[in-house]
Amino acid sequence: MARPYLEAHGLYKRFGALEAVKNVHLTLHPGEILAFLGKNGAGKSTTVKMLSGLLLPDRGEVHLLGKNPFREPLALKHLGAVLEGNRNTYWRLTPLENLVYFGVARGLRLAAARKRAWELLEEYALLGKAHTEVRHLSRGMQQKLALLQALIHDPEVLLLDEPTLGLDVETALLMRDKIRTLAQAGKAILLTTHQMEVAEALADRVAIIHQGEVVVEETKEGLLARFAGEHYVLELEEKPPLEVIKQLRALGVEGEGPFFFRGNAQALWQVLEAVKPLPLKKVAKGETDLLEIFLKVVGHA
Amino acid sequence: MLDLFLAEFGRNLLSLRRYPLELLGAVVTLSVIFYLLFLGARFLAGPGAEFGGRLEAVLVGYLLWTFALFAYTSLSFGLMEEAQTGTLEQVFLSPYGPIPLFLVRNLSGLLTQGLLVFLIAMVLTTLTGARLSFHPGVALPFLAVLLGGYGLGFAMGSLALLYKRIGQLLGLSQFLLLFLLQAPGTGPFLLLPMAPGASLARGMLAQGAPLDVWGLLVAFLNAFLYLGLGLFLFGRAVHRAKKQGLLHGY
Repeated sequence: MARPYLEAHGLYKRFGALEAVKNVHLTLHPGEILAFLGKNGAGKSTTVKMLSGLLLPDRGEVHLLGKNPFREPLALKHLGAVLEGNRNTYWRLTPLENLVYFGVARGLRLAAARKRAWELLEEYALLGKAHTEVRHLSRGMQQKLALLQALIHDPEVLLLDEPTLGLDVETALLMRDKIRTLAQAGKAILLTTHQMEVAEALADRVAIIHQGEVVVEETKEGLLARFAGEHYVLELEEKPPLEVIKQLRALGVEGEGPFFFRGNAQALWQVLEAVKPLPLKKVAKGETDLLEIFLKVVGHA
Repeated sequence: MLDLFLAEFGRNLLSLRRYPLELLGAVVTLSVIFYLLFLGARFLAGPGAEFGGRLEAVLVGYLLWTFALFAYTSLSFGLMEEAQTGTLEQVFLSPYGPIPLFLVRNLSGLLTQGLLVFLIAMVLTTLTGARLSFHPGVALPFLAVLLGGYGLGFAMGSLALLYKRIGQLLGLSQFLLLFLLQAPGTGPFLLLPMAPGASLARGMLAQGAPLDVWGLLVAFLNAFLYLGLGLFLFGRAVHRAKKQGLLHGY
């Protein structure tokens, strides 16, 4: 596997009596989207701020393409960020002016920043609003511009904190597509979100932080498979007689139809025997989603 | 760095062009303050009172104060505004680092602030009948005053970065600037920030005195000392703000 673009080792941050982040290790590889999930106050934003060089960790190190952003500010050339709760852009300037300014502030030459700004505005369908002050743009356009501001200097690493929050369905889907395309083009993306469906749609890997500690970190497929093997779903064509329901309850089957059975494949045959010869509609291994997993993990952690 | 300067300068110009009333408001307010002081002094001194050469000296002092005031306050007001509007963290993501970026930002603001001071000078000379003799060499002591002003500005910027709401303190300390700029450029006053440069500029503009090379040297030594001190304090404040997570919010 290629060398990670972003590495964080043993990050620890305390604010007074509160241990906000405890011994967090994260890596982000080229072309990968890591969904970084957690409840409010779990330590997500604190971690993101440390990764972006805005918050000095009490312990631990961050490396952006091998460079420490706290000792070498030039390392920030490799990073673009959309920070949640921030405007990210100047509201008195137009999208074009913002992009040119931030492009230069991120190390581009003026002419290169201007050229790149026009390209991005065209690609993200903001060309028509290039000369409109940001404060007059819709929320979706402002959010798109925040992403463009992070992309203007073509960084290898993107930290996106709630990039689709508050967007209408169409714009949110467009943003998802763009984020996926960016990863396919080789960017390493850390995606922080409370929208589990967004994380599930985009992530290659998932890390869940709870009370300052990363309690889960693995591939999305692995995580879904690990949690999916726990139950079966059974549906019948017609409502079973009371006698059958009693038998099902005795075997630990829950629900009123569809029925849910927690157990292994062997025990499932006993359930099927109990419903025999009623016509079956569906028997399937239960699927799970990231939301369910997240709730289980932070509930049990 | 030149590109950054041009980008910052462009941002300043856009703001002036897009919000001309802010510029006009500043010119009117600062001109009215001086004119009221001028009228008040005449009223107290009686109808036959004449300022003579003193009027030019007072006016130059006032213009210098206006210029120094921008140098002194612009960083702090900028930081407070950016913290409030939520762009401060994005500015801190610049690979140039905060100190070079804000230095360039100050430098680029010099031209727009120069325009403002020029407009105020035009208004006030028309209103008061004062005549200022401009010698190109006067730009040098002016520059020394501004560098010292930026030094103090970075020191106040440190407080703005850490505590955010320092508007009252900035307002009150403007009067301290007035004292510094009117202080005589001799003896222990040479150690005060901006005082040597201000004294030199006053002499050249109001009395037509020639440029004193030694005086200028002292003025620049003083300016770089306070600029260095201001940058040192600002660097410490950046470190502390990053340690305590103070870059976000207001």
